[in-house]
Amino acid sequence: MISLSLFIYVFINDISPKLGLDLQGGISLILTAEEGTDSELIEQAVNIMRSRISAFGDVQEPEISISGENSVLVQLPGITDQEKAIEAVGTTGLLTFRPVLNSSLSLGYSPALTIVENPDDPENPIISAPNGVDSLTGLTINDDPTKVSYLLSLSGGYPVIYELGPAVLTGNDISDALAVYPQNEWIVQLVLKDNSANKFTELTKQLASLTGEQRKLAIVLDSQVISAPGIALDVNPNIGITGGTAAISMGNADQGESANNLAVVLRYGALPVSFERSSIQKVSATLGENTLRLGLEAGLIGLIFVSLFLIFYYRINGFIAILGLSSFGMLFYSAISLLGKYQGYTLTLAGIAGIIVSIGLAADSYIVTFEKFKDELKIGRSFQYASEKAVTEAWKTILTADFVSLTASVILYVLAIGPIRGFALTLGLATIFDLIFTRFFTKNAVPLFAKVSDNTRLFFPIKKEVLSNV
Amino acid sequence: MFKKLFLGTTEINFYKLGNTFLKVFIVEMTIFIAVIGLSLSGYRDLNLSVDFTGGTTYQLSTDYSSDDISDVMNNTILKVSRYQTFENSNSIIFRAVESTQDKETELLNYLSYKFDVPTENIEFQRVGPTFGAEITSKGLRALFIFLAIIVALISFRYELKFAIIALVALFHDLLLSYTVYELLGLEITPSTIIALLTILGYSLYDTVILFDKLKDSQKIYKRNNLNSDILNKTFNEVLMRSINTSLTSAFPIISILFLGNYLGIDGSLSDFAVPLLIGILSGTYSSIFVTVPFLSKIIKTN
Repeated sequence: MISLSLFIYVFINDISPKLGLDLQGGISLILTAEEGTDSELIEQAVNIMRSRISAFGDVQEPEISISGENSVLVQLPGITDQEKAIEAVGTTGLLTFRPVLNSSLSLGYSPALTIVENPDDPENPIISAPNGVDSLTGLTINDDPTKVSYLLSLSGGYPVIYELGPAVLTGNDISDALAVYPQNEWIVQLVLKDNSANKFTELTKQLASLTGEQRKLAIVLDSQVISAPGIALDVNPNIGITGGTAAISMGNADQGESANNLAVVLRYGALPVSFERSSIQKVSATLGENTLRLGLEAGLIGLIFVSLFLIFYYRINGFIAILGLSSFGMLFYSAISLLGKYQGYTLTLAGIAGIIVSIGLAADSYIVTFEKFKDELKIGRSFQYASEKAVTEAWKTILTADFVSLTASVILYVLAIGPIRGFALTLGLATIFDLIFTRFFTKNAVPLFAKVSDNTRLFFPIKKEVLSNV
Repeated sequence: MFKKLFLGTTEINFYKLGNTFLKVFIVEMTIFIAVIGLSLSGYRDLNLSVDFTGGTTYQLSTDYSSDDISDVMNNTILKVSRYQTFENSNSIIFRAVESTQDKETELLNYLSYKFDVPTENIEFQRVGPTFGAEITSKGLRALFIFLAIIVALISFRYELKFAIIALVALFHDLLLSYTVYELLGLEITPSTIIALLTILGYSLYDTVILFDKLKDSQKIYKRNNLNSDILNKTFNEVLMRSINTSLTSAFPIISILFLGNYLGIDGSLSDFAVPLLIGILSGTYSSIFVTVPFLSKIIKTN
């Protein structure tokens, strides 16, 4: 048993536990949607947040998960530009309006690419792309809304690559958007905020003076072109679109589905639901390290005290207990590391508290066993018989008591949210390990060591005569 | 004394002491109820953390004077409702009422400028009042389901009466923890709630081990119900285990408290340690002092 757990320990030696944010530093935020929000919408939102954060680049291992019925837990460890990161997940969208400069509709390939005929091999022309553009796809790699970008659109049913100028308007300029069906075709009615109406008029004035692809205004969401409607031909370039409203014609092909989708995007930005930031927590890396150090040192000191106490009090059996407890610790460490690697379990402060509590729990199982041993010796049983009886009896007690703890952790895990779950998991894990150790290690080790000697003083701080004269 | 304790041959007549313990229990309960009554009627406030009240906390390490603190408390940006300083470290925590994000950022920048600490080094926590409520309500729901299952479990393994005694011991521990928090004005954070749930686990674990021992003794005496001899024998024998177990459980937790204080690290881990320590001590206490009077009552009615 010991060798087995040691083996596991060595085997995964190069895996260390995944540290939670509170131990590593970073930001954690909880976003809460309105009660009763469709869980599918929340899932969609989570997916969008994930893609946004991975586009962010700076985050080591972002973790975005649904917690509870209508909350999303976002954990961003080791991030430097925190405000921007919170903005990226928390706000409903990075929606921009950008003038179209050119597109693959007129060229047949990405406007970013320069294609020169290869004199040696006419079949394979030489393709070159500017900096920051993928030469294979002709798309901008890291989109910056303040610069010219080459972005993809899939909304028309076939891919189109647009060359776009810097963003002129953003989702913040929009006050409302609605899909309506006034006559014979679907229209998305766009309402701009009062102080953005002028900007929109200026933009449409400029666009209306141009022709072809350059007459289009692209609606870009998280670096993807959602739609690129052209400015209607009857718009006067000297006046533009005024009044702070605009109508986007959506045709009649899909019973208004695309019109509705566009309206939703315009209204909410990227996320299909709006979230309230119910908690933002920022932990600096130093505080995280300090806490981790404190947890580890305290755990170690605690373990040393417990060991000294057990050795003093139970002698040889104390030694068994320490052996068992250290293997327990190794197994536990391995399990947490493995869970971190394969299940994404992160060790948080609550988890450390759970571990420290479990040291006490595990130690108690030994104490229960040794006390039974003492009781059996007291009624005059032989060492061998007493030890065997003790481990069998103790097993029953520990089984009952651990069952209570296990029930508690399962219920907590299933019903609770956030940090409580991490705690419940470590506690439950520790209880299961405790049962395994009691059943397979203690149960064999105690009778084995009882064979070593029948000198009471090797097992208890008391003389044999005193013990058996009760 | 130690020898007797060790051998479990102390001759404490727990059966007889039952009445005394009951009186102590009643006194305790009166105090608990008085304290809860006071806090409900608004004479005392529980020190609820920002997670429950909503608002923002800022924690930074810096050299500060009392003038600096009063400057911050009287700032015009955002109402700062409370501050906290620590003896062994130069950490300082400000707590501001709930407000808009702009205001919160403004205060962050203000603090950064005032104490010459870069904003990255200021721990910043913003919480809406719903978050704490959600944790609490989910926790309470878990608690009730848990209690129902436990009662069923203990009644099945032992007796319904035992299950009720275990519950009484449990509530005693919870009330005691609450009262200590209330009287010492310790801050209640979500960690405290977790710790309270652990206390429940401990308290039950301890009580179950005791019941198991009682059942064992019944077997030895070949009796189907309790009598005073069984009660006395069991509790005298089990004393040592109770003490040992609470010692081994308390060591790691005490070391968190001492080390935390020594290293000048405040906050989260201590948030766990304090209620856990209270809970372990109270759990050990209640498994003897609260169960005995009720067990004695059962014997008397038999």
